[in-house]
Amino acid sequence: MHSLAAHAATGLWRRALWLALLVLGLETARTLAGRGPGWASPSLLLGGLALCLMAVRSSPATLGLGWHRLPERLLGGLGLAVVLLLPAAARWGGGPSLGPELALAAIAVSVGEEIAFRGVLFSALLDLGGPALAVLGSTALWTIAHALAHPPQFLPAVAGAGLLLGLWRWACQDLVGPIVGHVLADLAL
Amino acid sequence: MKRKPALLLLLAAVAYVLAAWAVTPGFYDGFTQQQPYRWTNPPPAFKNNNQPPLSGRAQAKVAANGQVDPGTVATDDGQASVTYAPGAFVAPADRSPVTVSIAPVANYPNPSGLQVATNVYCFTASAPLAQGKDVLITLTYSDQLPAPADIYDYRDQGPWQKLGSTGSAAPFTISVRSTGLSCFAGAYPAKAGQNAQGTRLGGGQTLPIIVAAAILILVLAGLPLALLRRRQSEPPPPPPPADQSSEPRHRKRRPGSRR
Repeated sequence: MHSLAAHAATGLWRRALWLALLVLGLETARTLAGRGPGWASPSLLLGGLALCLMAVRSSPATLGLGWHRLPERLLGGLGLAVVLLLPAAARWGGGPSLGPELALAAIAVSVGEEIAFRGVLFSALLDLGGPALAVLGSTALWTIAHALAHPPQFLPAVAGAGLLLGLWRWACQDLVGPIVGHVLADLAL
Repeated sequence: MKRKPALLLLLAAVAYVLAAWAVTPGFYDGFTQQQPYRWTNPPPAFKNNNQPPLSGRAQAKVAANGQVDPGTVATDDGQASVTYAPGAFVAPADRSPVTVSIAPVANYPNPSGLQVATNVYCFTASAPLAQGKDVLITLTYSDQLPAPADIYDYRDQGPWQKLGSTGSAAPFTISVRSTGLSCFAGAYPAKAGQNAQGTRLGGGQTLPIIVAAAILILVLAGLPLALLRRRQSEPPPPPPPADQSSEPRHRKRRPGSRR
C-alpha cells in the first residue's frame, strides 16, 4: 500500500516536472523565434497553438473550463482585465497599435499561456501539492517563462499578474476569467 | 466566494497594480522592446547607457531572369530595414549584385516644426529603383518616448517631407512605402504637444475609454446578475398551511358539495 502511494507521488512529480519543462521550452522557443525578422506574429501564433495542444489529454473540468455560471465567468474576466489594464490606463500616452495579424497572434498566445500555466500546469501542481503549490508554482514558472522576453524591471509586474490570475483560478475554480482577462489585456496594450 | 480567497485576490490585485505602476505601460507577452534603443543623439535621459546605433549592408543578386532578387536589408541592431520585391532595383548591365546600405547619420537638415522620434537613417543602393517600383522602409522607435506619427524623408540637403505611415507589422516599429531611397526618420509635429520626457503624452485616449467601458459593463451587467443569482438561491416560500381556517372566507361552498 505504502509503495503504491509512493509510486503515485513519484508519478505526480514526474508529470509536473515534465509539464514545467515543456511549457518553459515552448515559451523560450517562441520568444527566440520571434526575434527573427518577420517572425514576431508567426512565433506568437504558433507558440500559442503549441501551448494549447498541451491540454489535449485533459478534461475541460480539470482545466477549469465549463459552461456552468458562464455569465459570471465572463464578467470575472472583464474584471480581471480592468485590474490588469488599470495602471496603464491611468498613465496612458499612446502605444503600439496592433494590426489584425498581431492581434490574432496576441489572442493565440494569451489563450495558450492560460491553458498551459493556469490550466494544465496548475492542475498538475494541484494534484501534487495542493492549492498553495499550484498558485505559487504556476506563478513562478510563468515569471521565469517571461524573463527572456522582458527586461528585469518588468518581472515584478509579470509575477503580480500571474499571482492574480492564479488566485482567481483557485478561488473560483475557473479558467474562463483568466483567459478573457489576459486576452483583453494583451489586445488593449 | 468565501472571505479568505476574496481577500487574497484583493491583495494580489493591489500588489499587481503597485508593481505595474513602477514600469512603462504595456508589457505583455513579448510586446516590449528587447534592447534599449540605440541613439545617434540620445535624449538627456538616455545619455548614460547609450550604445551607438549600427549600420547595415547587404547585396542583392541578379537572378537568371535578369531581375534583382527580393530581400530585406537591416542594420545590425535591427533598428532600420528596407524590404524590396523582385525587380525593385534596375539590374546592372554586368549583372553584378546590387549593394544596399543603411547608415545612421548624426547631422541632418533642421526638421523645423517636427519632433524627430528616431535616428535619421540614410538608405543607399548601387542601382536605382526601377520605374514604378517601391520599397518598404521600416524604422524601430524607442518604447520610452512618444511614438512617431509618420515617416519623413529628405534628399540631398532639401527640406523634410512627410511620407506617411503604412502602420506596423511589429510593435514599436513604423513603416512606409517609398519610391526612392533617401534619408528617413520617424517624427511627429512638434506642436502636437507630445512630451519627450517620458511616456506621458497627450496621445490617444483609447485605453482609458476601453477600461471605463469595461467598468460600466461590469456594473450594468454585474448588478442584475447578482440580484438574479441571489433570487435563485433563496429558498422557495413555504406552502400555505393546509388547515381549513386558512381558506378564504369568501369562497362559498357549492350547494350539494361534500366535505
